[in-house]
Amino acid sequence: MSALTRRGFVKKSAVAAAGMTAVGTIVAEQADADAVAGAEPVVAYVSNPKKGEISVMAGDREVTVRDRKLAASIVRAGR
Amino acid sequence: MSSHREAPAISKDPVADNTDTYAFVSPDDPDTVTIIANYLPLEAPFGGPNFFEFGDDVRYEVHIDNDTDGKAEITYEFVFTTEVRNPNTFLYNTGPIDSISSPNWNRRQFYSVTRVEGSKRTVLGSHLACPPCNIGPASTPSYEALAAQAVHQIGAGHTVFAGQRLEGFYVDLGAVFDLGDLRPFQNLHIASMAAAPGVNATNDFSVHSIALKVPKIELTPNGMTPTDPMSKRAVIGVWAAASRRRSLIRGTGNGNTFEAGDWVQVSRLGNPLFNEVIVPLGDKDRWNALPAAEDAQFLKYVEHPELAGLLPVLYPGVFPNLAGLTAARADLVAVLLTGIPAGIVPGFQNFTGKRYADQLRLNMAIPPASDPKPLGLIGGDAAGFPNGRRVFDDVVTVELRAIAGATYPLVNKSYTPDAAASLITDGLGPNSTRYLPNFPYLGTPVSGYDTKPLAA
Repeated sequence: MSALTRRGFVKKSAVAAAGMTAVGTIVAEQADADAVAGAEPVVAYVSNPKKGEISVMAGDREVTVRDRKLAASIVRAGR
Repeated sequence: MSSHREAPAISKDPVADNTDTYAFVSPDDPDTVTIIANYLPLEAPFGGPNFFEFGDDVRYEVHIDNDTDGKAEITYEFVFTTEVRNPNTFLYNTGPIDSISSPNWNRRQFYSVTRVEGSKRTVLGSHLACPPCNIGPASTPSYEALAAQAVHQIGAGHTVFAGQRLEGFYVDLGAVFDLGDLRPFQNLHIASMAAAPGVNATNDFSVHSIALKVPKIELTPNGMTPTDPMSKRAVIGVWAAASRRRSLIRGTGNGNTFEAGDWVQVSRLGNPLFNEVIVPLGDKDRWNALPAAEDAQFLKYVEHPELAGLLPVLYPGVFPNLAGLTAARADLVAVLLTGIPAGIVPGFQNFTGKRYADQLRLNMAIPPASDPKPLGLIGGDAAGFPNGRRVFDDVVTVELRAIAGATYPLVNKSYTPDAAASLITDGLGPNSTRYLPNFPYLGTPVSGYDTKPLAA
């Protein structure tokens, strides 16, 4: 086994950290997927493009999400 | 009924409910074909103040298959727009409507007609006026003349009308839905009652019709007028449909709605009674949503119709041969899903290939009959149903007899139909309602004032 140098430690740690980040991303995406698995379709529409308001409807609930970037992206996709 | 309120979902959406489809060589203009698609079942003529009208949010469609693939090569789209002159009155009309441009008519409807062939879209007419509903002598005097003003000549030799008409489909609904105790035969029914004349349940009711007269040359793939009945190019498949936008958003506190998205089919109809009588309850909504070219999945219901099994039970001892007929009903498959091949009825065919699809199949080379028979082909009149469908054809009797086994010998000569198979009827005929000799052929609607709902 090679001696653990500072440079080697930093390098290995960086790879490990990157790996953990990747694993964390996968875990988070899986968690997102698990959270929506089996869910009823969710309906969303841009209710106020200028304010970036998106109405999200599921079952008998409706909430308004404010996200200018997403709203603008959706509006562009609809053109 | 033919296809009135025939499926759970569409029964709650009358403006999109395609109730009947007709296709026939125009008797007074035999170089043309007339196609009629009806919507809005069972309109009570006095149903105001918001009288019946087409849906501005519905796309009405007439489809034509002219190459036997079960898919539409030509589609006519009809889209409506309602205009209100005065929103500050509750009245449909504020005085007599003596023309379709009358300022007294407050709520008017207009439409466009677009012909679609592949990616080519041609607007044949736009801002075409519908007639008003027939209200009564004070509001809509001279209704026939008024409605005639709504017959429009549009592009490429087409003629079109869209508006209220008298229901042309006659049927004894009360008897049919009371466990099939057809009045002329109910002495033989399991419930055994005295035989009686049939009662037309649609008497005086109206529908909204889209009638389109098209030169034959606009319907054939080669642009020629078909003259040889045995040519496959002489046959077109016709069906109608209605579609709605995928999404609907209701405004809060303002009564407004917003619709967007692609068009989604919610109703269709080729042959009368197909979805009504052949398709079982659990599949009816799905059938309405599917294209005709996917009807192979409903083949089993045609091959083994539920009603054929019920008749021997409801009429004990009357249909013994039908009770023993367990083979797949190739005769019904031909009538409803493929057309009748050459060699079965001398001098006639309306076969469109092996692709199963509910379509009216019209052999355009068969000229109009000089002495039309309401029983069409089984009555010896090849110009009638199931060679297309004319407005007066007695499709209830024809289909009852076919299901009862009267047409099975066409595909199996060893089968002997029960005597009752060629007699069964709901006891009605074309004189149960009224028609016009000319376009749009369906009769003038009865006015609300003149309708007596409790009359015997």
